Amino acid sequence: MKWLALMLVFGLVAAACGSSSETTEAPADTEAPAATEAPAATEAPAATEAPTDTEAMMDIATDFGVDLDAGVIRVGMLSDLTGPFGPLVSAILAGTQAYWDGVNAAGGVNGLQVELVVRDTVYVIDNHIAFYEEIKDDVVALGHSTGSPHTVAINPQLQADGMLAIPLTWYSGWSDPAINANLLSHGTPYCVEAHNTLGYITTEALPDSTTIAIASVPGDYGQDSAQGAKLAAEAAGLEVVYDGEGAIIPTDETTLTAVADGIVDSGADIVWVATTPSTMSSIYGQALAQGFEAVWSGPSPSFSPAFVAPDSAIKDAFTRDFIGGTYTSLWSDDATSALGEQLAEAGLPPSDYYFEGVVEAQIMHAALLKAYENGDMTRAGVLAAGKSLDNVDFGGIAPSEAYAGDAADRLQRQGTVYKPDPDGLAAGTSGGTVSLATNYTSDLAANFDFTGACYTLGG
Amino acid sequence: MLTFLAQEVSEPSAFAEFLAEGLSLGAIYALLAMGFVIIFKATQVLNFAHGALAGAGAFLVAAFASILNIPGRYMVNAPAWLQWTLSVIVALFFAALMGMLLERLFLRPMVGETLFAVAIVTLGIDISLRNITNDFIGTDPRSLGGPFGTSVLDLGWVRIAHWEIATIVTSLVMVGLVAAFFRSRTGIAMRATAFDQEAARAQGINVGRIFSIAWAIGAVLATIAGIFVSVFPRRSAGVDTTTAFFAFKAFPVIILGGLDSIVGAVVGAFIIGLAEAAAGEWIKFDFLGAGFGGIVPYLLMLLVLLVRPYGLFGTEEVRRV
Amino acid sequence: MRGRPNLFTSYESDQAMLNTTTKKVILFTLLAFLVLLPFTGGGGPGNVRLFDWTIPGFGWLAAESWLQLMGTVCIFGIAALGLNLLTGLAGQVSLGHAFFMGIGAYTAAWLGAAEGPLLGMGMPIWIWLPAAGLVAAGVGVLVGPTAVRVRGLYLAIVTLGLVFIGEYFFRNWRTLTGGSQAGRDFPRLQVRFWKEEAALIDTTADGSWLTTNGKGFLFLLFLLVVFALLAKNIQRTRTGRAFQAIRDRDVAAEIMGVNEFRYKLLAFGLSSFYAGVAGALLAAYFGRTIPERWDLFLSVQLIAILLIGGAGTTSGAILGSAFVIMLPRFVQNGTEWLKGQIAEGGIIATIADPIIATSNTDFGLINTLPGTGPGLSVLQLNQVLYGLLIILFLIFEPFGLYGIWLRIRNYWKGWPFTY
Repeated sequence: MKWLALMLVFGLVAAACGSSSETTEAPADTEAPAATEAPAATEAPAATEAPTDTEAMMDIATDFGVDLDAGVIRVGMLSDLTGPFGPLVSAILAGTQAYWDGVNAAGGVNGLQVELVVRDTVYVIDNHIAFYEEIKDDVVALGHSTGSPHTVAINPQLQADGMLAIPLTWYSGWSDPAINANLLSHGTPYCVEAHNTLGYITTEALPDSTTIAIASVPGDYGQDSAQGAKLAAEAAGLEVVYDGEGAIIPTDETTLTAVADGIVDSGADIVWVATTPSTMSSIYGQALAQGFEAVWSGPSPSFSPAFVAPDSAIKDAFTRDFIGGTYTSLWSDDATSALGEQLAEAGLPPSDYYFEGVVEAQIMHAALLKAYENGDMTRAGVLAAGKSLDNVDFGGIAPSEAYAGDAADRLQRQGTVYKPDPDGLAAGTSGGTVSLATNYTSDLAANFDFTGACYTLGG
Repeated sequence: MLTFLAQEVSEPSAFAEFLAEGLSLGAIYALLAMGFVIIFKATQVLNFAHGALAGAGAFLVAAFASILNIPGRYMVNAPAWLQWTLSVIVALFFAALMGMLLERLFLRPMVGETLFAVAIVTLGIDISLRNITNDFIGTDPRSLGGPFGTSVLDLGWVRIAHWEIATIVTSLVMVGLVAAFFRSRTGIAMRATAFDQEAARAQGINVGRIFSIAWAIGAVLATIAGIFVSVFPRRSAGVDTTTAFFAFKAFPVIILGGLDSIVGAVVGAFIIGLAEAAAGEWIKFDFLGAGFGGIVPYLLMLLVLLVRPYGLFGTEEVRRV
Repeated sequence: MRGRPNLFTSYESDQAMLNTTTKKVILFTLLAFLVLLPFTGGGGPGNVRLFDWTIPGFGWLAAESWLQLMGTVCIFGIAALGLNLLTGLAGQVSLGHAFFMGIGAYTAAWLGAAEGPLLGMGMPIWIWLPAAGLVAAGVGVLVGPTAVRVRGLYLAIVTLGLVFIGEYFFRNWRTLTGGSQAGRDFPRLQVRFWKEEAALIDTTADGSWLTTNGKGFLFLLFLLVVFALLAKNIQRTRTGRAFQAIRDRDVAAEIMGVNEFRYKLLAFGLSSFYAGVAGALLAAYFGRTIPERWDLFLSVQLIAILLIGGAGTTSGAILGSAFVIMLPRFVQNGTEWLKGQIAEGGIIATIADPIIATSNTDFGLINTLPGTGPGLSVLQLNQVLYGLLIILFLIFEPFGLYGIWLRIRNYWKGWPFTY
């Protein structure tokens, strides 16, 4: 019942947004735009009408992963559930699952129930490729594909199979049309997110700051973010006094000490660290032990609510020092409260990561609806439908996305800036964070002249 | 180059920083390596599962001190430090039990097999135990709690976290306890067992019991090391799924010192700890890339082995036909 | 003397590669089956295979993902054969096999990968594959003297150190390896005369009779057979006997005239050659890999393969690879099956219910929604099983799967009489 209410909320928001984007709809597309644009459009009528609409269903072309007789759509999920990004991705997956549970309970996608085919890749490329091979003939599209080198590794296969995938990584290189032919990337890229968050810090939190220390893990995530921070520092007139781009090796304790020492010795006003939660706690702890104080910041994978859990040693200091940035709204935001209630109902503890999962599911939902409408639910049909979405609205839990048109124009620059919230976490009212600014685009991010990937993955 | 080094070394705070870091690192390595060597000496098992024991032990501490709050929940009025200490003692008890159980179940049947086969059994234990522990830990780090928080001893020219002081002190106390243990009746029996299992048995020593005790001590020492790895300032958020990997550094330590020498383990631990800290503090050439400090122990190990194939303090094997 | 299966009248026939009829029959049936497999099972959407029918009872094995998995088995088989020469035959415990595989992989990348921002010369496979083996062998011989000087468990730890040192170099040589967590593309398994022309054999695209994975599997199966023959021949000749003499008692071997240093070095070189080739194949097969791939766990996996299969035997190394590489898929499918049974209800459901957790409030040993509640994820379960298997095999069947096979064979030999 509450899911229906929730759908209604989405529906209202979507209807509001729909009217503004109606004019951009391609003339060839004869369907009513509002109905195709957002998953939210599946409100009441679709749920009751579709199951009886069997004749229309028969006209729909299918090949893999869609079984009209059984009324099932299968969507693949290549997740890192027990690897380095396990904490995030398992929550993201829980959000996705909860969203589809709600959709299925309300009648599914035009009467078709959505099933997730989940594989735990442990963030290992070989697993990623092997699991893709295993599930590809069972699924119509990939609901997410965790990790940039991993997604790049299956990309040739995706293109050969005509498979749509939503990359679960905010690598700025996805804007490259050569790579993203089969991808529906979403969210603020690491590189832009660094601009956005640093823009907030240099204007709102610490306007008189002059120096910055930057450190990261190697690879697309860390170095994309670190490069973004460097570009942002240059634009904001900050001096980079410590450059530890790629210097953090999570399996090597000594690199953490070295980075912490480097940060402390630099005496920076702002510290930007793009890493994993457990290494973040170590670097922050070692710097704190040496009496170092600064504004610490980093992309969302650097932060873990465990840092500000009631019995965490660094709770108070970290709450004082940290300002983070992310793409979706937070559990403690008003925009997510209706959805949060549903998730809590499903037995899930507060966390901000669910909403990323919900966003992914909504994109997939929109693509599936559009494909259904086009009468082509083959892999290629879903891909084409996904690529023609010109406005996916998320009902306020994240800035909307578009996939039709020029990639560079569609760069997501908006995001949420937050600080840790130990009290809310203890009371169960937040996922350990509370927003400082929502739907925020800093001047740094707005003026950032994005020409291509900030960090290039090796060929 | 040399003048640059001299300048850095003569600067008191940098040198003190290096010393503090090196000693606290060395202290953790010493705890790990001692447990390792005791198990090897008494039972002839090269224990690849030591890291898994440390991770599992640290999780036990988190479970009793922080998640379950045992025995704290039954003695609400007791001071926090006492509650925590009692929790750790309970955790250590269960860690010891776990060590004994593993030995009894999986290693006792292997007595008399080749050293290599037994070592590989512990690899199997490592894989299984680590994954079971990881499942209990879950996805987010688990805080261990503890009395020191983020407090720091500030001497002006150097700052040392209270946790780091506790690490060094505990490690030294443990070295003393282990030395005292080897002078006790049981300790002497263990030395006899290490020398010749059959002869020890003929003297009326219960060799099986000695094996159990060795594994219990090993697991306790590993747990203590696990605690100090998972607290401020190292893994400030607590024990997580990567904690167990820390113990791999104990391998160069014990090889450096010699597989069967407690003195070697302690000396090796501090040499490697200081060498790593020194590499982190002064070797800062860009061309070396990230993580050179991490392989310094292995390079040192290779160097020492080239000169002394049985480590600095290890017993040379007498080869007979 | 013909017609009496187990009577060998000469040393040659005793040491022949297939010294009994049973072995010949089993081997050739198995090979024929494996070669035929990828041609069958056509007819589905976009399926180009030669035959529409399937081998009765084994249709599932012809699925694309199983063929790919079996290709991986072949690669690990080659790696395990190499480790078997060093550890199984010569008795030198090495945890450094992953390091040599990494050397092979990056040699292949340098020579074979397309020219681009990272090092690559675009050479054909008949250059980069042997070169991968040779360079790894060269490094093996270079490291050898240090390794020969230490023995037993010290050697195990020295080779363990090698993996960490290697990982450091792989991570930091970015122009060759693409850098940590980023990785690079590798040359694919395509056979060409020279650089640019259309490939003679291309395992990256469907052919007219075979799919991509079918081609890859056959290609790797061919290489596995070649390397297995080579290994078997090393084992049953002078070199192999020298290795075994060193394994059984090095001092005694030396007194009998086996040059210990020379043969240990040879064992290192040969084993590294196999490792290098396997590493190059692994990277080429998957197409993209990060430097962290060549870590200690790969070495441990190979040791496990050897022990589970049966150390010291050629067939054991291959059996072990098949077992260890395919186990996760069986566990996965078993879990899915149990989950399906719960939904259907019935007797199996009552057994499966406490084993499988289907929602985050349900209790179960295995959690199909990992990260949201108690219970092992399927991959964790796999790892736990894998560790337990190593332990149980070592305790109960030190000769591994090969030992089990021997027992079964010996049982049926005397059947129905026990002895």
